[in-house]
Amino acid sequence: MKILLVDDDPVARSIHSALLRLHGHEVVEAADGEAAWQMMQAGQISFVVSDWMMPNLAGVDLCRRIRAAAFEHYVYVILCTAKGEKSDLIEGMDAGADDFLVKPIGAEELRVKVRAGERVLSLEHGLADKNRELAGINSRLQSAYALIQEDLKAAAWMQERLLPPAALASHGVRCEGRLQPSGYIAGDIFNFFPLDEEHIGFYLLDVAGHGVPAAMLSVTLSMVLAPDQMEGSPLRRYDYVADTSEAMPPGDVIRELNRRFQAKDDRYFTMVYGLIDTRSQRLRIAQAGHPSPVLLRRDGQREILGTGGMPVGLWPEMEFDCIETFFYQGDRLLLYSDGVTECMNDAGEGFGEARLLQYLDRERGQPMDKMLTGLLAEIGEWHEGKEFNDDISLLTIEMA
Amino acid sequence: MRFDDYKSGAILVAKVLDGRIAADVAPRFKEALIEYVAQGNRAIVLDLSDVTFIDSSGLGALIASLKVIGPDGELVLSGAQETVMSMFKLTRMNKVFRMFSDVDSAITALS
Repeated sequence: MKILLVDDDPVARSIHSALLRLHGHEVVEAADGEAAWQMMQAGQISFVVSDWMMPNLAGVDLCRRIRAAAFEHYVYVILCTAKGEKSDLIEGMDAGADDFLVKPIGAEELRVKVRAGERVLSLEHGLADKNRELAGINSRLQSAYALIQEDLKAAAWMQERLLPPAALASHGVRCEGRLQPSGYIAGDIFNFFPLDEEHIGFYLLDVAGHGVPAAMLSVTLSMVLAPDQMEGSPLRRYDYVADTSEAMPPGDVIRELNRRFQAKDDRYFTMVYGLIDTRSQRLRIAQAGHPSPVLLRRDGQREILGTGGMPVGLWPEMEFDCIETFFYQGDRLLLYSDGVTECMNDAGEGFGEARLLQYLDRERGQPMDKMLTGLLAEIGEWHEGKEFNDDISLLTIEMA
Repeated sequence: MRFDDYKSGAILVAKVLDGRIAADVAPRFKEALIEYVAQGNRAIVLDLSDVTFIDSSGLGALIASLKVIGPDGELVLSGAQETVMSMFKLTRMNKVFRMFSDVDSAITALS
């Protein structure tokens, strides 16, 4: 190690220099503090052994300058004092000295104190290297993260495009929906569409879990359930002879989805699929393990449709029951995902079905989009502004 | 994901000590149950009396474990609280898993 030895006494300087060289160190010498300071500024010196009492610049002041300069590398400073009095030691430590040697300096004492300093410096070098490495890693992580976020935002945009547009209406039935992913993209998805001259189909589904894998399945399902698909669509039954098709009953639609989407990795989904016959005003709904839709009747009554069902994708060969009722003018139906009712406040209480129903009873007179926006706001308040940990989706349909 | 487990004859009783079985712990939950099955346990009572919340991932893990234990094994649930029970009813899991109000009735039924 290279050591700067500072002493105005040439005899002491040459003895100590020799000792240090004997111990394997490279020694550069300075006869006073000012000369030492010039050498510090010029070269890479990390170790200083300096006498205290010197002309031009005392050892303790050299030490102060070194500390104030804040070189990039740490400088280990040993001060040599004649008296070794406590007041000296305190002043020296205050000035930033790392250690002391009391004159006359013994050879062994010099050796071990220099060795202790070597350990400190090696520790500092190790840390400096680690910091550089970490800074490099951090910078690469930031770039990677930025890329991932870009991808997710693009995916979120694509997913939004799959949803029905605002204020969609068909055959006198209007719909409004809201999708609020817990991250960028959602494992929930919904749709509303005319299936043929008389029928309107709609669904809301929730893939187990959330994040990218759930979203990928939800998008796939959305594609499979696209109403403009003719061949092989689970929504329609084809009579190839007569070349006609008819809307499949909801229980059959879900049964077909269950057949096609058996979970390979525990990933199932819950779903409500509904069919409105606009001529007869018949409403049929199949419910696969999904929260029960709420039907708000024009006269103020409120019905909860169904009690549940088996989720989709768990076991092959399942049948799914269908609930039948009527959908009259002025009636409004709400489908929602469990992200709504399971949303927790600070005390760990869920928003719950009761609170949802209270809200609906109060705000059902509002236009659909206001009702949904208001509901999201109420859920947001309940959750007190924290990150949502499940997707929230809402779909409301009204017979005009 | 912590369990308290003990044997009652050939029946393993595993009590879930965590209050929430949600997406973050579901994989470990499933691993633990599969480990119990791998150890040769064919009759398992899962005590859910301390569980206040289970989400879709948790349910997925439960079902996966049921599939692993197979047709000649029994995985039954005991002590499900109201919120957990209503989720089971909504998804018809009360038809898939045998449910008991407490560990003793579960053990009696399995013996």
